[in-house]
Amino acid sequence: MNFLDGLLILSLLSVIVTGFAQKLRSAGWLSSVLLGLQCLLLMGMAGLAYGSPAVSSSFSVSVLGQPLHWQFNALSWFFALITLASALASSVYAAGAWGEDYRLQGGNPGLLQFALNLNVFAMLLLLASGDLLSLFVGWELVSWASLLMMVLAGGAAGRFGLRYIVYATAGAMAVMTGLVMIFQLTGSFQFADFAAIAPSLSNAQVVTFTLLFVFGFGVKMGLLPFHLWQADAYAETPGPGAAFLGAISSRMGLFAMLILVIQLIGLGRLINIEVPYSFFSLRDVLMWVAAFTIIFPTFTAMRQNDARLLLAWHGIGQGGYMLMGLLMVNPLGSAGGLMHVFNYASYQAVLFLVVTAVIYRTRTADLNQLGGLVTRMPLSFLMMLICIIGLAGIPPMNGFVSKWLIYRSLIVEGMPLLFVASVVGTLGTILSVYKLIHNTFLGQLRLEHEQIREVPWSMMIPMLILSAVVFITGFLPGIVLDWVASAQAALGIPVLEHTLGGVESPSGNLDMIWICSVLFGGFAVGALVFYSGNKSRRVHQLDNYAGGHFLTADDRYHYSNNFYAGLMHHIGHWYRGTFQWLESSLGSAISLLSAATQMLFNSFHPALFLLLAATLSLLFFAG
Amino acid sequence: MNETLLTILEVIFMPVVAFVIGLFMVLMMRKLAARLQRRVGPPLMQPFYDVIKLYGKQTQISHGLIHDIGIIMAVGGYVAAESLLPVPGMDGIADKGGIVMLAYLTMIPSLGLALGVGQCANPNGSIGISRALTSMLAYDIPYIIVIFGVAYHFGSTNLIDIIDTQQAGGVATWGISEMPVLAIAGLFALHASLGKQPFEIYIAPAEIATGPMVEMGGKYLGGLFVMQSFQLYTASVLYVSLFLGGGENWITFLLKCFAVLAIPIIIAYLFPRYRTEDLVRLVWKWPVMLALIGVAFVMT
Amino acid sequence: MNSIVLNIALPLLVAFLLPLIHASSRIAARITGPLVLMVMMWSAVIVFKALEYPVSIALGGFLPPVGVSFHLDQLALLMATIIPLLMLLLWPYQYEQNLREQTVLLLLAAASSGLALSGDLFNIYVFYELISVASFGLAAANRQASSFAAAFRYLLISGLGTVLALTGIALIYTQTGTLNLAQLGLLSSRLDNPLGLSAFALILLGIGVKAEIFPLNGWVAEVYSTASTRTSALLAGLVSKLAVLAIVRILVVAYDDSEAGLMLLVFGVLGIIWGEFSAWRAQDLKRMFAYSSIGQLGMILLAFSIPGEAGMFAGIAMMLHHLVVKPALFLLTEKWNHGTDSLRGAARLSPLAAALFVLFALSLIGVPPLPGFWAKMLLMSGLVGMDTSVYYIALAVLMIATVVEAQYLIRIAVTLYSASDRSSELRLASNTGVMSLFAVVLLSALLTLTPLGSKLYHIAAESSNRALYIRTTFNVNPTPVLEHKNATQEASL
Repeated sequence: MNFLDGLLILSLLSVIVTGFAQKLRSAGWLSSVLLGLQCLLLMGMAGLAYGSPAVSSSFSVSVLGQPLHWQFNALSWFFALITLASALASSVYAAGAWGEDYRLQGGNPGLLQFALNLNVFAMLLLLASGDLLSLFVGWELVSWASLLMMVLAGGAAGRFGLRYIVYATAGAMAVMTGLVMIFQLTGSFQFADFAAIAPSLSNAQVVTFTLLFVFGFGVKMGLLPFHLWQADAYAETPGPGAAFLGAISSRMGLFAMLILVIQLIGLGRLINIEVPYSFFSLRDVLMWVAAFTIIFPTFTAMRQNDARLLLAWHGIGQGGYMLMGLLMVNPLGSAGGLMHVFNYASYQAVLFLVVTAVIYRTRTADLNQLGGLVTRMPLSFLMMLICIIGLAGIPPMNGFVSKWLIYRSLIVEGMPLLFVASVVGTLGTILSVYKLIHNTFLGQLRLEHEQIREVPWSMMIPMLILSAVVFITGFLPGIVLDWVASAQAALGIPVLEHTLGGVESPSGNLDMIWICSVLFGGFAVGALVFYSGNKSRRVHQLDNYAGGHFLTADDRYHYSNNFYAGLMHHIGHWYRGTFQWLESSLGSAISLLSAATQMLFNSFHPALFLLLAATLSLLFFAG
Repeated sequence: MNETLLTILEVIFMPVVAFVIGLFMVLMMRKLAARLQRRVGPPLMQPFYDVIKLYGKQTQISHGLIHDIGIIMAVGGYVAAESLLPVPGMDGIADKGGIVMLAYLTMIPSLGLALGVGQCANPNGSIGISRALTSMLAYDIPYIIVIFGVAYHFGSTNLIDIIDTQQAGGVATWGISEMPVLAIAGLFALHASLGKQPFEIYIAPAEIATGPMVEMGGKYLGGLFVMQSFQLYTASVLYVSLFLGGGENWITFLLKCFAVLAIPIIIAYLFPRYRTEDLVRLVWKWPVMLALIGVAFVMT
Repeated sequence: MNSIVLNIALPLLVAFLLPLIHASSRIAARITGPLVLMVMMWSAVIVFKALEYPVSIALGGFLPPVGVSFHLDQLALLMATIIPLLMLLLWPYQYEQNLREQTVLLLLAAASSGLALSGDLFNIYVFYELISVASFGLAAANRQASSFAAAFRYLLISGLGTVLALTGIALIYTQTGTLNLAQLGLLSSRLDNPLGLSAFALILLGIGVKAEIFPLNGWVAEVYSTASTRTSALLAGLVSKLAVLAIVRILVVAYDDSEAGLMLLVFGVLGIIWGEFSAWRAQDLKRMFAYSSIGQLGMILLAFSIPGEAGMFAGIAMMLHHLVVKPALFLLTEKWNHGTDSLRGAARLSPLAAALFVLFALSLIGVPPLPGFWAKMLLMSGLVGMDTSVYYIALAVLMIATVVEAQYLIRIAVTLYSASDRSSELRLASNTGVMSLFAVVLLSALLTLTPLGSKLYHIAAESSNRALYIRTTFNVNPTPVLEHKNATQEASL
């Protein structure tokens, strides 16, 4: 009985307990305590992140002659930490006032907690997988568990969940095909056996496996062009659930892809395979997929008018950075990619939680129906500010560090176009998150929102703690880089040399401790200068310049709709909805085909088919 | 320990120098504009008087805490950014960040301004910010390609290394002689980043009542004034460091800086204003094309 | 061993006696049927347990190839056990007045057991005909105009199929002069020509009517949507499997290593496409399950088209899985309104039924660790193992079909659990107990996956071993030329 056994068993127990305790009023707190205990057990394995050898579970199962076993290494630990931390934050958030409110709205907070625990269990099982079969079992559990979370809200959520499961099943089929192919090659599902024959695979086989696995796992990650399901499905999930799914669920695809494509097949093989009639290697193609995954969803996010959709679209885009970083041989890039998983989870969870807090008070996430909330919910504003700085990748928050690592490695490797693509993504993010914070918290406060208050502490504390993480790991990125380096070692890729403040390298350093200190010193100077000026007087928001008019409470004096109108004049017609079109034409094709098949059944007498088939098969054999 | 102390001293001193030079750059801008318009222009100390006047005004209108904090961030961000720009004799913390860091650190003042303007609850201001961010999206693309090209050429993102390499090799190894195409693209991006005509879409007094500045008065406007002088300084020093070999000594340094700045300013006062979409179209076409050609030269 | 004949004789006899028993005592008539089925099960289990190696039984003392012979191997006995078991589960206990239906069911039990056990083509034909008659009776049992019409169409196509099958059997007889399967195995070289293959094609199409092979399955949706749910469950669950089994027996023994397998593959793939795509668009729950069952049968055929143990293993696993899941799904539709939209919010009133639906649907889609996943895995593994383009195409079709399948099944699940705008009157009252039994079977299969897997593997190995089949009957070895290509490929899965 080691920590891993304990963790998995406790996690399973939590699923069962929360499953039965759904009706209990204190189900939320119960679930939070259980998740907290799981975090403690995970901390018991913290040695993994500092170089301890991998832990294997003491139990294993054998099915049809194939052993399934589970183990934890630094990579699993890193992902598990993010999973459990975001689950715990979401659980605490949902346990208190929000859960009570959700119950009043007709929801079942106990079921939400159950879904949360089920997702955590499935993810831990996936992260702990010790062979291909247990990986696939975990993978499918994760897929279906997140479906449960997505459809909780009912209504449109059911439709989006259904759309998700179509994509997920297609992905699962691709993965399963890849796995049985491996099984036919090696006769086993062990990682080691596949790794052993990987160097002797032919190029065609490598391409097949890579495409199958990148498609299969990429669907979950929302890689282009399989990203359409994600934003709607996450946006419709009840707030804390969306925070959890948004933070980590999609990254499971990245985890599985890392194991199969980067650890087992190896980037070296991908780089050596040239795509015919082009300068691209297979790796470059994947990097461009990552680049487009950054750009298109980010610019789609910019056009959203619902805060949840805006965030969910960004979630897809941020996944592109992670994949792009990890596809680089350079330790800077892969460290950036891995670190971005952590950073992204920390701020995305808070952003969803803040938006949920806004919904909790105002009952809307429509960016055209909000505004000026900073005076009513100042702490929520602060949380959102910290996290959008993280999301946009601006210093001093942690999102900048991981993106910096990716930029640096792109410069070192000499990839100008991909560099531009990743910067374009960042710029798009800046535009988009400013719209988010401006339309929600800045500008004119609506009359109906004048009486609302800050959210209760049960909701505020998880946000505060996670935002503190966003700031602290930006100030001291070395904390996370330690874990990342161990994860790199576990993956068998080059390990990043780092310091507590960042990176020391002959071609350019990063020391966030200095930068942040100087930045806050700068702010201090700015404040000194500002307050040395004459004292200012606070005026009402309607006491404003309005071209000579006097504003009254009836005037809506707030610019929110079509926020980047000028830009859209130029790029608006580039949004063609090509992917939507592709998806719907695929749907129509299936619909048409099934109409045709049904017609065939309905319009002729079956005996006719019998004779036809008999004639054809006789012709086939006789001719 | 001694080294750390020295760095701290430099970090304190560099923004002060930048502030003074920046104010003179504002003066030069006004003088040039006056000469082009056949006026005399303001006296030598006018920018200083302006700052003091604005901070000392009796009527100081605040629209809330974020309004104040925005101005603090706008000034403070630049104060911090200046310590990343090496000047003759002082490197500050330039070796701890590099140009990518500098590019992103200079977004903090803009973000602060955007937040402050947002809090003012005036649509003119918000539209101004929307336009400013749009133009940032436009000019940052050629700008970042230029940065990539330079960093790739010198094999470093550290400004100190870049400057040292150029100074060691003389004029022939300056960025401008090794990468002339990139230098042109960089100048274009620099001009656009200053927000002067014809790229002045977010001020646009006749359209949106000076945009971000619509609710700013007194020390708020003063903050923006300081911010602008820092901005002029940062842009020109960065350009000098990347393409003109930095400053061997203060005299050549200042000469180069003012000369670099004079070019876009002279052009600016000869042009009217673009529309937003035209600005985006223009900047995404010519400077980007030039920058990409420049990078292609650098990489082959 | 000979006691297994009881499984055919006893229900046949009781079926004819039932009206008489009914006349004397109602209670006796009520318990007779279940009692007979229990005896059948007991006898099959006894023989199954005693069986160490396959046995051939010659009835009436005539040795093969002359005379009626039964071939008892594990597969045959497994089916012989399942037949009464499934019938017991689906027995019309609450409709004890319905004497005709009980009679027909006993007839079906007898004929099914006969089909599972017989070792020659003629017997297969006879029992198949008997099954047909019984199933017409069942299809029309609820005495509504629509079910009469459906049963009539069913009868028409089934009759045509019979003619084809008979033609095929006649062709085989002209080529070889025998109808004993083992003898055919010895003479299989005579069948490896256009005429012999045509004979197989005709038999495949003829029997394929019951096996819901594309395109002979036009009756399926109509019959299943009009007949009682128990009938649909029996026809989809049991009868179709027996028909497939008969085809597979002929294929393995007499048409080993020929193009006949390819034909199975083509029909299988077309069946998958047609079944799943039609189900995707079906607006009526029963029709959806009917179409889906066509697709599932296509997958089973596809599995059996893979030569060797791997295919047989996958096929048997898929078959047994479908045999458990499909009847249970049909039972679900008994009280539910047929339109899929009217199911909105049904989970609130019948939570257990909805949960069971989700369980069965997930297993059908193949979600690990449910049994359906392992069956599908075996099938995919077998397809990949063939490593030829035809099988890869089949694999691609299977993948797409699974996605389509997942879409329509989960669509129903989401509808069940979505909030209803009106107070739903839907409640599942009657069959939850039986369905739960099916679920218990499914879940216990999950728990005993490893022993079950190895048992099934042995069954598959035995029944795909052509030489063993022939040796059992004649005690001679066939010509070695026709040994399996893939006999060396040990699939431990």
